[in-house]
This record gives sequence, structure tokens and C-alpha cells, in this order.
Amino acid sequence: MTGHEDVYVVGAARTVFGRFDGEDNDLAEEAVRGALADAGITWSDVQFAVGGTNGETKPDNLVARLGLTGLPFVTVKNGCATGGVALMTARNGLIADGAEIACVVGYDNHARGAFNASPSRYGIGDWYGETGMMVTTSYFALKIQRYLHEHGIDPRTLGYAAEKAFSYASDHPYAWRRKPVTVDEAMDADLINDPLTRFMFCSPDAGAVSLVLARGPRAFDMCDRPVRLASVALRGRRPGSFEVFSTWLSPGERTSPSIDAAKAAFSAAGISPADVQVAQLQDTDSGAEIMHLAETGLVEHGAQTAGYLDGDYLVDGRLPVNTDGGLLANGEPVGASGLRQVHEVVRQLQGRADGQQVPGGPTVGFTHVYGAPGISACTVLTTEGR
Amino acid sequence: MAVRIVDETLFASTDPPTLRGSRCEACGAHVFPAIGSCPMCAGVDVAPVALPDHGVVWSWTTQHFAPKPPFRTDGFEPFSIGYVDLGPVIVEGWLVGRTQWTIGEPVRLVLAHAWTDDGEAVHTFAFEPGDAQ
Ligand SMILES: [Zn+2]
Repeated sequence: MTGHEDVYVVGAARTVFGRFDGEDNDLAEEAVRGALADAGITWSDVQFAVGGTNGETKPDNLVARLGLTGLPFVTVKNGCATGGVALMTARNGLIADGAEIACVVGYDNHARGAFNASPSRYGIGDWYGETGMMVTTSYFALKIQRYLHEHGIDPRTLGYAAEKAFSYASDHPYAWRRKPVTVDEAMDADLINDPLTRFMFCSPDAGAVSLVLARGPRAFDMCDRPVRLASVALRGRRPGSFEVFSTWLSPGERTSPSIDAAKAAFSAAGISPADVQVAQLQDTDSGAEIMHLAETGLVEHGAQTAGYLDGDYLVDGRLPVNTDGGLLANGEPVGASGLRQVHEVVRQLQGRADGQQVPGGPTVGFTHVYGAPGISACTVLTTEGR
Repeated sequence: MAVRIVDETLFASTDPPTLRGSRCEACGAHVFPAIGSCPMCAGVDVAPVALPDHGVVWSWTTQHFAPKPPFRTDGFEPFSIGYVDLGPVIVEGWLVGRTQWTIGEPVRLVLAHAWTDDGEAVHTFAFEPGDAQ
């Protein structure tokens, strides 16, 4: 029985990800109009909106294109977790403000190449950038190098993850990098940062995703197959986490905001990681997917390799993961990335996946974003009846 | 050639090189570079401390492409970066002398040439292979 406090996704749309020459707002508008059409409503029906981007445009100014309806429009900017935070803000807004229908949009249009961060924005001296340590790819490499060592994981697992991502993407019409890559090709490609090659990193690119949310029971009037946002949880780093641009780490137990956010999301939803039938995990690099499989509680530390070899993470496996190709194949328009994950899981649970469809009518999905400077947002999505 | 240290505040001493961190009086946590509060316990009673100059490689990678500015170099060659476990704290820094490393191998703190700036050699801290102590 659905209650008034329950929030559902009743519309979802995304753009093709990749390089984009137009204005950021063109992307955002395309996604919003797509989501509104998917929900069968117009902008005038939306009572609360949230927009997320890490670029220079102001999401709340989208009303100049969509319509000056006077609705409250909140802007969020939380790095790689922007999409997750935008979704959480919309959910909270619906519940707190008594609105029935909310719209969320996330978008970005990044320049080519690795993200270039300024030390002072992270509270670090100029020396860190001048000596070449302010580099995101070296962070990912340092983190997975240690993780592989601690858990005795075969580095070839990095190649399995890359092969899987591009295999899914080759069937997904909205993915950016859709050419299949074999494990050998991934392993033998140019090293970016040991042990990671160029097929094992995602790149910044462009894209937008939008979702329409509605409260039950209104959601069931609007949509044949609404997907319940059973929980969304956001957590920051605690002592012992290993984050990008860390000049030092504490010895001892390692923690992670991903562990905490996943635990909180599963607990709030009353669902166990073992119940998940389709998952989207932050795979900024191949290693991140491997670590996040375990940090979210979906797979035991050290058991990831067997999962790849046994086909567990493929569409007909035990736990299909990153079924749209993930970040590796979609790239990372930061503001859109977390909502892309939700979009994919919603479509899977509705039985209308854009790419490979998980068979058997999956009813429980999970998404996980993670990013600088140590934040993670997770959602649990379900298809419970009215 | 005249020598300049990339950032004097990183060092308790430069001859021999010793890094300057801070230690929390309340929980004992060590941080590098030194800061005025403790992120581990949220305490504010912290004091500067000289960090050990020997440790072991905790993780490593080799940078195979030239970072974007503000990276400074006299000519890019792949170089290694690692986290070195000094005991009370794990510190990120250059690993010099090779481009392949093993987790757990002993290293020691040195000064290394980073780039040349207007006829002045700029040195930074780095770790090179060395015996455990
Ligand atoms: Zn403390």
C-alpha cells in the first residue's frame, strides 16, 4: 500500500553522452522535455525543481526556457555526487513542501582531458600541483594498487571490468564509447598510471539526465510502472578514508563514505544487498568498480574476480552491474552521472531498458555515486505495487 | 646553481631533510603538512612535529603522461608517486630512482630536483630506495 510519503520516479530521459558543441542549457532542456513527455505532463505541472551541474551555468535559469511558472528551483553542486544530491533534495522537497510533482535535472559539458583541479580550492599549497601530484588518475591508480595488494586480487580483473563495460555499451544507444574491447586489448593498452591503462578510465564529457518524481498515490495515476525511490542516502568521509588529493593518510582501519552511504540506503529501504537484482556503481576507473562492488556490500572483498569470470555481472548473471556501460563507456558529465545511473535502473525495473534488458522482471535496483572530496550517495529503487 | 625549496613550510629541516607534520595532543593523530586542527577527532590542540625520515612503500603508481599546469618540469619523463608509511602517518610524495616499485619495500626521504625556475633549481621532497631502520 503506497503512502503519501512514498516518492516514485514517473518519468525519465537522458541525452546521448559524449562530445557536445552546443550550450549546456540545450542539453539540460532536451533531458527535461524528454522526462516531462515520458511522465505525460508539462512544465506547468511541476511544483518543485532541482538542477545540478559542476559547470558555470545556473540550472535555475532553465526556467527562462521551460516557463516562468514561479516554482522553487534549487541548484546543487556536489562534485561527482551532484546527481545523487539533486535527487535527494527533490525527494526531501516533495516531502517537506507538500508538493506532488518534482523535476530533477543534472548536466555538464566538460572540456577534453583529465579534470584539472586547483590546489587552493582543496586547501593545499601550490607545491602539490607544481610537483604533478594534483592528478585524479594517479589517485585512482594509487588506490586500486593498494586494494589489489591488500585483497590478493589478480590485476587482470581490471581488464575484465573494462571488457564488460564496453560490451554493455555496444548495445546501448545513449552510451558514448560503444566499441567492444577485449580483456587483452584493455590490459595491453598504453599505461596512464600503473596499473591502469587508457581503456580503464572514464573521461569527462557532456550529457544530461532528467527525472520526474511524484508522491504516491498520485504516481500511480501518472504512470503504469512507477519505480519507488525506496531510499536515498548521502554520506561524507570519516577518519580512515582514502580520498583524492590526500597529502597524507591515517594508518589503521580504512573507511569509506561509500560503505556508510550504502549501509544507510539499504537500512532505510529495509532491503539487503543480497536482494539487489540490478546495480549501478561508480566506475570512474575499472578499479573503482572492483572496490565499490565490495564497499556497497554486494560482493565480498576478494571475491570480485570470480564474479567477472562466472559472468555474475552480465545481464543474465546473478547481479548485473553497470548495464549501460557505466562511466567507463558513458564518460562523466559530473552533474548528470548519478542521475544516469538512476535512469538506467528505472528503465531496467520497468522492463524497457535502452540497451540489454535484465531478464525475469527485476524488482530491486541499487545505485551508487562517489566522488571528491569524499562523498557518496546511494539509492535503492523498487517496483512495489500500489 | 642556486637552490630553492618548493615550500619551506613542508620541512622541519632541509639538511638533513625532515618533513614537518602536526600532532594532535588529544588523539595522537599525525597529519602532513602541519595544520592547526585535527580532522581525526575535531580537536584544536595540535603542535608541529618532525616526521620519521624512513618508511615503506604503501602504494605506488607511475605517471605516464605530463600533468596539466600548474605542473612544472624541465622536460617530462614518466615519474613515480607513492604513499609512504612512516609509522604515525602515511605521506604522499615522489618516488625517485626507478619507475617500478613493490609495496612494502623500504625507502628514505631525500631532496629531489623538481624544475628550474629563472636559473634557480627548485627542490622538493621525495623518497628513494633505502634500508629499513
Ligand atoms: Zn585528534
